[in-house]
Formats: sequence, structure tokens, C-alpha cells
Amino acid sequence: MGPMVWISALICIFGLLVKFILIIKEVYEKERYLLSYITVRHSLRSIIAWLIPFYPRSTRMRPVYYGISYLFHVLLFLLPVFLMSHIVLINESFNLSWPAMNDTAADILTIGVIFALVFFVLRRRFIPDVRFLTSFMDYILILMVLLPFVTGFLAYHQVILYKWIVIAHVLSGEVLLIVIPFSRFSHMITAPLTRAYTGSEFGNIRHARDW
Amino acid sequence: MEKKQSWDWNTDLKEIPVGEWKARFNWVEELNISPDGENIASVVNVDEAAFKICVNGHVGDTEYEKIWSLKSLPDNGFAAFVCADEEWTLIVNGQEWSSWFDFIWDLHITPDGKHMGFAFQKEGEYGMAIDGLPWNRVYSNMAGMTLSNTGTSAAVVQVVPMKAADVDGFKQGLFSVAVNGNTFHNTFLNIWDISFDRAGQNLAAGIRLDREAYTIVKNDVIWDRKFQGVWKPIFSNSGNVLAPVRDAGKWKLFMDNEPFWKKGYDQLWKITPSPANNDVATIVANHFGKWSVAVNDKVWKMTCDTMISDILYSDNGSCLVAVLKDKGLWNLAVNQTPWNLSADKVFTPCISPDGYLVAVVVEKKGKFHLVVNNKIIAGNYDLMTTPVFSPDQSKILIKGVEKGVYKRRVISI
Amino acid sequence: MSGNETISIEKSTDDAVENGLSRLTPQRVSHVINQVLHQETGARFKAYVDTCMRCGLCSDACSYFLSNDRDPSFSPAAKVKQTIWEMLAKKGKVSKDFLRRAVHIAHLECNVCRRCSMYCPFGIDIAYMMLLVRRICHKLEITPQYIQDTVNSHSVTMNQMWVKEDEWIDTLQWQEEDGREEFEDLRIPLDKQGVDIMYSVIAPEPKFQAGLIYQAAVIMHAAGMNWTMPASPGWDNSNMAMFTGDNEISGRIARTFFESAARLNVKRIVMGECGHAFRSTYDVGNRALSWAMPPFEVVHAIEFYHELLTAGRISIKKKFTKRVTLHDPCNVSRGRGLHNMARKIVNMTCSNFTEMTPNKEHNLCCGAGGGVVNCGPPYKKERMVNNRVKAEQLAATGAEVLIAPCHNCHSGLEDIIHHYKLNMEVKFLGDILFETMEKKIYRPEE
Ligand code: SF4
Ligand code: SF4
Repeated sequence: MGPMVWISALICIFGLLVKFILIIKEVYEKERYLLSYITVRHSLRSIIAWLIPFYPRSTRMRPVYYGISYLFHVLLFLLPVFLMSHIVLINESFNLSWPAMNDTAADILTIGVIFALVFFVLRRRFIPDVRFLTSFMDYILILMVLLPFVTGFLAYHQVILYKWIVIAHVLSGEVLLIVIPFSRFSHMITAPLTRAYTGSEFGNIRHARDW
Repeated sequence: MEKKQSWDWNTDLKEIPVGEWKARFNWVEELNISPDGENIASVVNVDEAAFKICVNGHVGDTEYEKIWSLKSLPDNGFAAFVCADEEWTLIVNGQEWSSWFDFIWDLHITPDGKHMGFAFQKEGEYGMAIDGLPWNRVYSNMAGMTLSNTGTSAAVVQVVPMKAADVDGFKQGLFSVAVNGNTFHNTFLNIWDISFDRAGQNLAAGIRLDREAYTIVKNDVIWDRKFQGVWKPIFSNSGNVLAPVRDAGKWKLFMDNEPFWKKGYDQLWKITPSPANNDVATIVANHFGKWSVAVNDKVWKMTCDTMISDILYSDNGSCLVAVLKDKGLWNLAVNQTPWNLSADKVFTPCISPDGYLVAVVVEKKGKFHLVVNNKIIAGNYDLMTTPVFSPDQSKILIKGVEKGVYKRRVISI
Repeated sequence: MSGNETISIEKSTDDAVENGLSRLTPQRVSHVINQVLHQETGARFKAYVDTCMRCGLCSDACSYFLSNDRDPSFSPAAKVKQTIWEMLAKKGKVSKDFLRRAVHIAHLECNVCRRCSMYCPFGIDIAYMMLLVRRICHKLEITPQYIQDTVNSHSVTMNQMWVKEDEWIDTLQWQEEDGREEFEDLRIPLDKQGVDIMYSVIAPEPKFQAGLIYQAAVIMHAAGMNWTMPASPGWDNSNMAMFTGDNEISGRIARTFFESAARLNVKRIVMGECGHAFRSTYDVGNRALSWAMPPFEVVHAIEFYHELLTAGRISIKKKFTKRVTLHDPCNVSRGRGLHNMARKIVNMTCSNFTEMTPNKEHNLCCGAGGGVVNCGPPYKKERMVNNRVKAEQLAATGAEVLIAPCHNCHSGLEDIIHHYKLNMEVKFLGDILFETMEKKIYRPEE
């Protein structure tokens, strides 16, 4: 287990942190007036409303996509964090540990993630309005997420070229972590911000719901 | 000032019952009170489409089809627009002007009352009429009518015709300034906020040269610099033109085409030069939504969140009053210190020439009160107009209506 | 309904756009685009661009998308793709054909109704981005002719329709005289200082629908309100500059408006049934001037009627019996949450009310109020095609009368009704109130 994993994890976390700070700083410098409309209450109201599955009307209109997407996002975080083999590695390095997920469950859920990603690809190919919006980059992004899961799955089952697959798994995971702050994956921090702002404009100023 | 000396400062109370007018006429319109408080007048309806002006309970013989814009005059008389046989003119103390028009509006009166003017429309063309005389030239369109203290008149007029919705035509600049009826040479996309100097000899205005370029014109000469926006220019006491301009995203104060103040603001308007010295005050927002006053580019230590509607100096320049609204309620701030009025409305303050006394009429829950130096000194009126200090500043003249009776009161302070 | 028109419709041309395009140089184009996209925006814009995952959840929000049989190019995010993303990718070096299409997308294919920000999981405000495109068009002087003419009018007269100052006053005096048939001492007090309410309308009222001022005066008089209307510019609460991206003129309009209220020392401003004017005075115009919130309370007619009815200042003589439905104007429902009040008024005044769906914040847009209808006759046919879903929604209610408390919605909906041959009459809430109210003067003691 090389130090690269931890370096990429740090790049991811610090990258996101810096990005967050830069956004706030830019708002302060150029559009400070926006801050006078944002309230914690309305921000949370909107964020929570959008975290409740199938609560917003929009999500009910495309239930299949939304359902898959919701589970996908949950698993994207849960799987790597609660995977036995990851916890073991962390324990070796930092002497930290927490309960792990049952291996069979993890295995099935990994297949789930892979299916979700395949579903996203198909959706991008076959739903006309989504296809219209899709560019080559979107497939690259999907691929970047897909790789660590596929290689992880293969490594677990030790199907072929175990050593190489493990290296590919580690590398693809590192690449993904590094890319997060510099790509649209950073929506993990910008989304709550845009949601908070829109939620505040709707809730605080326009006295209307935004879901 | 001399005039004020001759007013009656000795009688404590004079009353005119106005409530009973309602019984005498079909209806009584807005009450209007003369500066000295001796006269109170209203437009009254006497019959179907028949109106008169009632002054202190007396009505004249002449009735008109319509009367509006009744205003009190500095000489304590009244002027109004009247209509007879579908033609309009101005009556001043009951006397009609000799020229009649298809429509007239926007009455201007100089502070000394020597000059009066209004906008007129005759056969679809527009001009101003000053002291009984209409402009020689008329125009197809007119806006922004202004009268200087010395009786010079000016307005924005359209000098090039435009077909309906002709946006390319508009781009050429169709408007000019007409001074006493005669236009500037230059034409512009837009002209706003004509401003005269004290002598009424020079004028300045904000203009737009194309979609995006704004600047100032002074006597038909355009400033070299262009800006993202401009507000009303004002002549300083020394005859320079001061203007709020938006430059590189900030509002700044410029003088004669050059930067005057150093700071840039989120907003800056209502330039108010001190009458006594070279101080210049403006309303500013130092940060978004935070309103204050800047004097010589230094911002007051006070802010309010809703609005500052006006700033006024005392004659000697020692006192600067801001009329402001904070958290939805109206208040005054005098030399940086806010009062605690919490009023629903605050009317124009009256400041003593030496700046020691500030009086203002406020309305709270539908009742009018008089506040002097942050203390209510008379209250519960149904209506009250701006008070006046006696020349020696020992007394104040209150003009208000209470339970259907107009009361002219003089009280010591 | 004639859905196939989508394919056959020809995009109209517009002299103002074409002449504007012919004047442009590549330098000016890239300069303006970069200036707007990089200098005039900030982190919010970047976050919108970076956050959009091209998921298409916003598509179902847009009545243009739905009316055009889910044509992908009408999806909200697609409108950004076809304008902003490309401007950014090409660093502003875009062709005239691109700009012609961009003018069209931003002014005719998006009504800045903000519905899509309720459908995007990230709340991305596509309307804001379309307004940025409109601002670029404004600076490049390629804004469609008719809406530009209204902005020109605003800049000169401070009203939207070149209404001259004497015409305005004359109209009010004439409405006052007419109103005396209802109440012999009815007045429209002009420029009366220190009253409680400044009543304001949009310029089409004195120009074409003076009867609405008459109705408002009757309602004010009957309710015993202490009110006035300004006799000088600043009476018009509309603001088309807000919709062409001319933020400077937009600010000037808003300033003139609020300074009228300050000059008259009123307590609050009540406005007639107009949605975009409400958006301007409540939400947009004030911000351009550093007023975080409007400096005077701005009360939309819906709120005002609701207040009069619940306070008993106006009572209903006989309810309206025809079958009615209610259209929620974006700018006061999604823009101010007044939809529930509007329903209460309908229920208080009408006996046969059918909801249309979706409604309230989720209402489908009229296709007019965001500046689209103001682009004028050249685009009417297209506007009708782009509004098919609204027609279907209206038809499904089976109502005889459509209540729309907004001027622009009115124009848009009348056109739709006519085009799709729906047998419906469009009315304002004020029309209903005027018809059903007791014409007697409110006395507190009664
Ligand atoms: S703002 Fe309205 S019209 Fe514009 S893209 Fe969004 S949903 Fe469609
Ligand atoms: S719903 Fe939001 S994130 Fe998805 S494509 Fe539309 S704007 Fe982008």
C-alpha cells in the first residue's frame, strides 16, 4: 500500500476545501449581495426536501432514473468506506477501524453500482434530451467511476491477473480521487451551495417551495 | 426672511372650521395650507362637473369643469389648474392666465414665488409656459420639465420624429434639451435630470449616447469620459458640475469630467452641496443594502437597511439631516445620530437656520405628531403640514387639522 | 391539437436582430461575451456551469420542451448548452449564425419562468443564465425589435408604451368621471401626499384597458382606502428592461418608481394584476440599486383583494356562477407564493371553481410574461406552438372562465385560447371582484 492513496485522498479533500473557500471568497468579492438573501433555515429546508426520496415532484416524474441515481450516490460512499478490505488497510496504516459490511452484500451492491453506471450510459445514449446534453466528457466521467468498482469486483473474485487488477484498482481509485475537485464531480460541494441559494431565494424571498 | 417677520407670531391659536365644508359641498378634496398658516384651501365640488376653490370657507363666483393641482404659493395665495370649455389654464389667487391649452400639468413655482411655469399640450404638441408666456417652439414629445430659481425653463424634447417601434431610428438619438423653448445642437438617446445652477444660467443633465455609454452634458458640451451609468448632476456653489457616475462597477462622485471623491460605492445619489461652504453630502450605500450618508467622501457611522429618501442641510451648513427608513419604520438622523421616531411616515423636516433645531411632522397609526429635536411637542392631529420656526427661533408655527377644525398654533419652544 | 406544427414552423426574422447582427465585428462579439460572462458574473455562475451533470431532469419542467414533443433542443439545460457552454468553450468567438440562434433561444424559447430550477436537483437557475444571454444580446444591440422598443419607451418616458404625461393624467381624470356613475363622489386622487397607498399600474392599462383603472378606483372607493396615483413619471410599475438585460435602465425605472412613493410619503404600494411588474418591483429592480428588499412594501392585487375581503371592507353580493379555473402566474406564485391567497379569493367570489393541474408553484407558464410576448407579432405563431401544453391543460378543466391575475398571462392566454379555439373567457380577479361586490361604501362601525 503506497503513500499515493493517502496523497490522492488528501488532494481530494483539500482540493474540495480550497474550491469551497474560493467560491465563498469570490462570492464575497463579486456578489456579496447574494449572501443577504441566504438563510440557514431555508437552505436546510431545501436541501432536506431534496434528500427525501421521491419528495420533489421532479423526482417522481422520472422515478426509475431518480431511484437508481439516489441509490447509486448512497452506495458510492458507503461501499468504499465499509468494505472489509479497505478497513483492514486503514487499520494497518492508522490503527483505526470500524464495522465492515458483509462481503456478499458488498459484492452484490458493487454489481448494483456497476449496473447503475451502465444504466447511465444507456440513458445518455437513448433518451433524446439527455443524449443532446451529453458530450464525450460525460462518458469519461462515467468510466472513471466505473473502473475502480469493476477492478475491485474482479480483484475480490480473483478471476484473472490478480496482481495487475489490484494495481489497476488502486490506480483508478487514486485517479478518481484526484479528479474529483477539478471536475464536475465537485458537485458534491457545489450542489449543496446552489441548492442552498435557490432554496433561500424561493423560501426566504419568494415564499414558495422549490421542490 | 423679512416676510416671515411680518407673519403673526403672537396669536396663540387661530381656528377655521373645515369639517363643516363637507356639509356645504358635495365633496371636499385635499386641504392645502399657506406657508404662513393663515389660509387653508381646497377644491370643492358644487354641482355635477362644477368645481370651485374654497379658501378659508369662502368660494368665488367662477366655477370650472375641473380643477386640480391646487398648490399654496410663497406669497400665501393659491394656484391651480382649471378647465373651462375643455380648455385649461392656471389660476393664481383666482386670476386666470390669458393663454389656454388643451392640457396642462406639472406646476413649478420658484422658491421666491416670482416665477411659475407648467407643461402644456396644444393640438398634440408640447411646450412649457412660464409666467403666462408659452414657448415659441413646440415639440412632439416632452419630458423632464425644470424651472430654475430665476425662471429659466428647460425640458427634454423630441426633435427628430420616429416611426412606431423604430429601434434603429431611436439609436440615432432623437432628443435634445430645450431651454426657454430653444434646443441644443446635440441630440442624444436619452436625457434625464436637468439641473440648473443657482443663477439659472447654466444647466447640466445626464445623457445616454448609445446602448451602454452614459455621461454628462453641460450647456450642450459633453464630458469626454463615458460611464456605465449616471444620476442627476448638481452644480456646486462654485459652479462646477458634480455627478454620480458608475465606473468600473462602482458609483463614484465626479466633478467636471474628473474623479472628485476617491471612494467607490455600491450606490451614490442625491448630491447635496452645503449652502454655506464647500461641503458636499450624498446618499450612499457603502455595501449592498446598507444605506448611509457620505460627506466629503467620509461615510457616516450609521447605516439603515431600507432607504434614505432625502438629505437636507441647515442654512449655515452645520446641520445635516437624513430622512431614513430602517427595518421598515421611518426616522431621522441628525449629524450621524439617529432619532427614535419609529414612524409610519415622516414628512419633510424643517431645520432652523443655525442648525440647532430640527422639526418634523410624523405619522403614527394614522395620527400626526410634531417632533422637535427628537421630542413630540404636539400630537394627535388628523393632518399636519410642515411647521415653520419664527425668525428668532423662539417659537414654532404648527398647522394642522384636529377634529374637523383647522388650527394655526404658535407655541414657544 | 396540432402538434406537428413544431416541425414546420419557420423561425421568424426580425429587423432589429438582423440589422444589429450586420453591424457586429468579431472583436466586439468576443469582447462583450467575455465581459459579461467573466466580469459581470461570479462564483454563482461558475457553480451553475460546473455543477450541471447534464442529467436532463430539468427537461420536464419546461413547457417549451413539453409543447414541442420533447424536442431535446428545448430542454432547459440544452438552452444553456446551445448558448453559454459554447460561448465559454469558444472564448466568445462565436459566429453571427450562432448569435441569431442565441437571441432566439434566450428571448423566444425561454420565458425565464424559473420552473426548471424547481426540477433540477441542484436548483440551477437556468432563467438567470438565459437573462445573461439576453444581456449579451442587449449589449450587442441584437435584442428583438418590439421588446427593445418598450425599453426605449421606458428610457424616455419611464413607462412601457410611450404614454405621454398628459395622456396619463387625462386618462385618470376621465376614469374618475366615469367612476362617478358608480359612486357620485368617487375620486382618483392625483399626487395626494401622505396617504396610505400609492396605487400603480402598468402602461397598457391607460393605453388600452383604462376600464381596469376605473374598476380599481371603484374598489378603492368602496373599501374606503386612503390612496393616490402619481401624476408624474414613476406611475408605471412595469419593467421590460429587466427582461432584455438592460440592467441600467431597469434600475432607473425602479428608482423612479420608488421615489414616486417616497415623494408622496405613502406607507405602501399596491399594484394592479401584473406579474412581471411585481417581479421587477419586489425582486429585481430594487436589487440593481442596492435596495436589498423593496424600500416600500409592495402589495400585489391578489394580496390586496384578499386583505379587503377578509377585513370585510368589500363584501360579495352574489357569487360568480360560471365555471371558473385559475391560472397561477409564475411571477406571483413561484415568485411570491400568492397562489393560496388567489384560491381563497376565487372561493370567496365564485361558486364553481375547477383547479387545473399542475398548479400553484408547479403551474405551467403562460408563455408570455418573461418578455416573450413583448417580442411581438413576428413571433406569435411560434409562441402558440410553444404553448400547446398550456392549451391542453386549460381544455382539460372544461371551465368557461379563466382567471389570470396577471397582464402578461392575460395576453398570452387570450392568444392561446383563440389559437386553439378553446371556448373560454379570460378575466382578472379584479373583474370578478368588481362584478360580484356590493357597491356600497365601507363604514367601520357597520
Ligand atoms: S425558465 Fe422556464 S421557460 Fe426557461 S428553460 Fe426554465 S422552464 Fe423553460
Ligand atoms: S436538471 Fe440541473 S443538472 Fe440536470 S441537466 Fe438540468 S440543469 Fe443540469
